[in-house]
Amino acid sequence: MLIGDIGRSGSGPVLERMFQFAGARQRLLVNNIANMDTPDFRAMDVNPKDFQNALAKAVKERRANTGGERGELRLGSSREIVPGIGSLKLIPKTSGNGVLAHNRNNTDMESMMRDLGENSMVYRTVTDFMRRNTDILRTAISQRV
Amino acid sequence: MYGALDISTSGMIAQRVRMTAISANIAGRNSVMPDGTPYRAKSVFFEPGNPSARSPEGKKLGVHVATIEDDMQPFNIRYDPTNTRAIKDGRLQGYVLESNVNPVTEQINALQAARAYEANAVAAETTKSMFGQALRLLG
Repeated sequence: MLIGDIGRSGSGPVLERMFQFAGARQRLLVNNIANMDTPDFRAMDVNPKDFQNALAKAVKERRANTGGERGELRLGSSREIVPGIGSLKLIPKTSGNGVLAHNRNNTDMESMMRDLGENSMVYRTVTDFMRRNTDILRTAISQRV
Repeated sequence: MYGALDISTSGMIAQRVRMTAISANIAGRNSVMPDGTPYRAKSVFFEPGNPSARSPEGKKLGVHVATIEDDMQPFNIRYDPTNTRAIKDGRLQGYVLESNVNPVTEQINALQAARAYEANAVAAETTKSMFGQALRLLG
């Protein structure tokens, strides 16, 4: 395996996309929290299922093409996600759910905090996995266990 | 994800301005303006977007104070005919006009602003811890 393939092998590309997704979604979630008292504001978010489905499809295709060990992960576009090189653009939808408050705002604190917690946990899991990967690499380079 | 901290900061700034207006309302409740009229309660209105953001994308997200307006509800009245500011004639003769600040409403607004500020601070903390995790990848 060439050194250039290190970043494109194993779970690296999948983790990278998840990392980008959680980072981009964080901006939407904190925006909803910042606007919790703004009149006429409607919460904006993307459906994580949509991203998961696109990612699962990309992983399946990669497995079919290269056996899954290495090779580029081609994440397809969906209604809410537009993948770029090294980045991920999210196209959020405004939610019609929730009770409108007297200022016609439909955000609710509980679900916003739940989503924020969920997203940070995903981010944490991804960074933990990435750290493991780099630890393995570091061990291999240093030739010490 | 860099913009996330800016967004939470804009939320905290907006809530702080709201809290300032609430404090001014409570403090000015018994004041008379230079023109002799009682103090009018101030209301803060928010709008989505953050014009002071550094990036064009950041301008779309976040929140900012759109206007701070006077509450045009009628002044409260109190019967006090010996007061020098008492109305001399008409239907309200003997009454004194007082500020239209409602202390109960202001207390509730203050609680709401404090909670919203807290929620933004928690969101900023979460973002910061995520940054920390990402930075730890470097070793």
